[in-house]
Amino acid sequence: MATEQQQKEEDSLVLQDLKKNLTRGMALDDKTAVAMPVAAMNALLGVVQRTTSNTMMGLQDELKEASDQILEWNSTEGTRSNISLASGCDLFLRYSTRTFLELPDFDACREAILERGQRFAGISLAARDRIASVGHQFVGEGQVVLTHGGSRVVAALLLKAAETKHFSVYVLEGRPDATGAKAAEFYSKAGIPTKILLDAAVGQIMDEVDLVVVGAEGVVENGGIVNKLGTNALSICARAHDKPVYVAAESYKFARLYPLSQKDIPSNTSVKLDFVDTSSGKIELVKVPDAVQVHHPLSDYTPAKYITLLFTDLGVMTPSAVSDELIRLY
Amino acid sequence: YATQSNLGGNARCRLLLEALQAAIQDYVPSPKTKDVRHDISNVVLKPSFAYWTHHCRPHSVSMGNAFSFVKSAVAALDRDIAQQWNTSDEAKLILKESMEQYVQERVHYADQAIAHYMSDKSIIQDGDVILTYANYEVIAHVLLEAARRKTQFRVILVDSKPLLEGQSLLRTLREEGNIDCTYILLNALSFVMKDVTKVLLGAEALMNDGSVYARVGTACVASCCKKKNKSVLVCAETYKISHRVQLEAITNNELGNPKNVLQKDDDDDSDDNLRVIPLLYDLTPADFVSGIVTEMGILPPTSVAVLLREMNPDAAANSQGGF
Repeated sequence: MATEQQQKEEDSLVLQDLKKNLTRGMALDDKTAVAMPVAAMNALLGVVQRTTSNTMMGLQDELKEASDQILEWNSTEGTRSNISLASGCDLFLRYSTRTFLELPDFDACREAILERGQRFAGISLAARDRIASVGHQFVGEGQVVLTHGGSRVVAALLLKAAETKHFSVYVLEGRPDATGAKAAEFYSKAGIPTKILLDAAVGQIMDEVDLVVVGAEGVVENGGIVNKLGTNALSICARAHDKPVYVAAESYKFARLYPLSQKDIPSNTSVKLDFVDTSSGKIELVKVPDAVQVHHPLSDYTPAKYITLLFTDLGVMTPSAVSDELIRLY
Repeated sequence: YATQSNLGGNARCRLLLEALQAAIQDYVPSPKTKDVRHDISNVVLKPSFAYWTHHCRPHSVSMGNAFSFVKSAVAALDRDIAQQWNTSDEAKLILKESMEQYVQERVHYADQAIAHYMSDKSIIQDGDVILTYANYEVIAHVLLEAARRKTQFRVILVDSKPLLEGQSLLRTLREEGNIDCTYILLNALSFVMKDVTKVLLGAEALMNDGSVYARVGTACVASCCKKKNKSVLVCAETYKISHRVQLEAITNNELGNPKNVLQKDDDDDSDDNLRVIPLLYDLTPADFVSGIVTEMGILPPTSVAVLLREMNPDAAANSQGGF
């Protein structure tokens, strides 16, 4: 077994890999940009490559430890959703167990894991394309699509739709990380008429909207999703106006979680929030006393009953089919 | 059995297996019997079950599934071992062990697994106010396990006629778990709703479309709680899953003792204008259920059919022995 010193170096290697993967590119159409679960899997691949163990049990232990480290790092210093990282790690661990059952010889198994893992980034891109090809048909000519969050999957879907149809996109501003503004820039440059809305305008604009399309950080067992804060309110409002809510997500985002309420979804809020008043034309910072608590989680949970359909690489499915898929996978 | 003195799916299943066990032990094949297994099925199992069902009391889903299991256990006996029924006890022993194993695994271990799952996954948390209705073994297991782990919670027990089963659950929770309990009748449900954080219900059977067949009154509780946006969790062992779907609650229901519903001053039953209907079960639609907790974990009600396929291949295929 590795000494303490080696262990420490090993630790930072896994995290280094992870950070390298995550910062590769955040642009919406950047083909090299990786989703969280993929980044986690690439980092774990590094563990498999470097392993000095020659039994499956040993490797499993190392992988488990590495994934615990990744999740711990993310919950204290990371700014992204824990769910997608967790589901990526979980998927990798499950896959390695499955491979071992098929190939009991350790070396053959290790080779298979490495080979499949390296292909995974490509598979995930292909998943995005498949989702775009099934989902774009749901956008009709002359319709208004409302979206929220910076999902690359949704971007791919809308770009594909724009190849054959004219429609317009409304994006929510997406405080506090301006995802809406960045998305608006992207869609506008792609030639799609775009409108940015204040987050609070959701109720006021819903009559004009024909459909809502969002991505997901994670899809949970009961068919609900975890996504950028505001998705839950948006979906409730949409369903109240009888507008369909579609979720575009790859199947590797299916997580073994069964939340019963919002507080069952952990969310890190390490980012500090600023309050600005721009109504007078200038940017005025409003200082709030320290005694005032600020509640701004990064994600929320949207229950299955507000979701109409999910577009995945496994096809178009209803929220109740998510559980069937998960039962089959496990 | 005919007097409905044994209540509850688990109890009835256990007793059925004990009775079948005794019948099988006493069975003596005639010298002309070609296939002992075939004979047991036709001479012992099927007639007994038919008798109990038609003359005593309709069977529950749990009994139906257990019966299918016994039939397939008999059919799975090695032919030669079975033929030596009179000379060797091996076949009897095999059957005895499989039936005991069935009860151990599908009822007892399942209850414990569900109880552990609820606590392991922190489904029951500090500060919870848990509402439950009537009395189910699995619910008692869940709440006692949570209490054992020193989780700080309290329970509101809702009860009603005709059976007032909640009183025995109340006794169990107080005596064995020292759990903080509130006891109300069904008509007081809306008063306590404000404080409730979770609702745990048991079931007699889980239908294929996710609806829940349980003690009469359960549907009321579930619908009221769902309206107030409380999470409604149904805890049930997988052997209670039925391959059938019911559209309403009257089908396959049973009548209890009318005196439990309406006590009349004189014993004169000749009042033609008054019909007392002491139904024992009702059906809760899947919409009112947030999740179903089984020994396989928690799943949405719409996935019950998938679980049936994985767990009870005989019940899924056989449409006669089942409920």
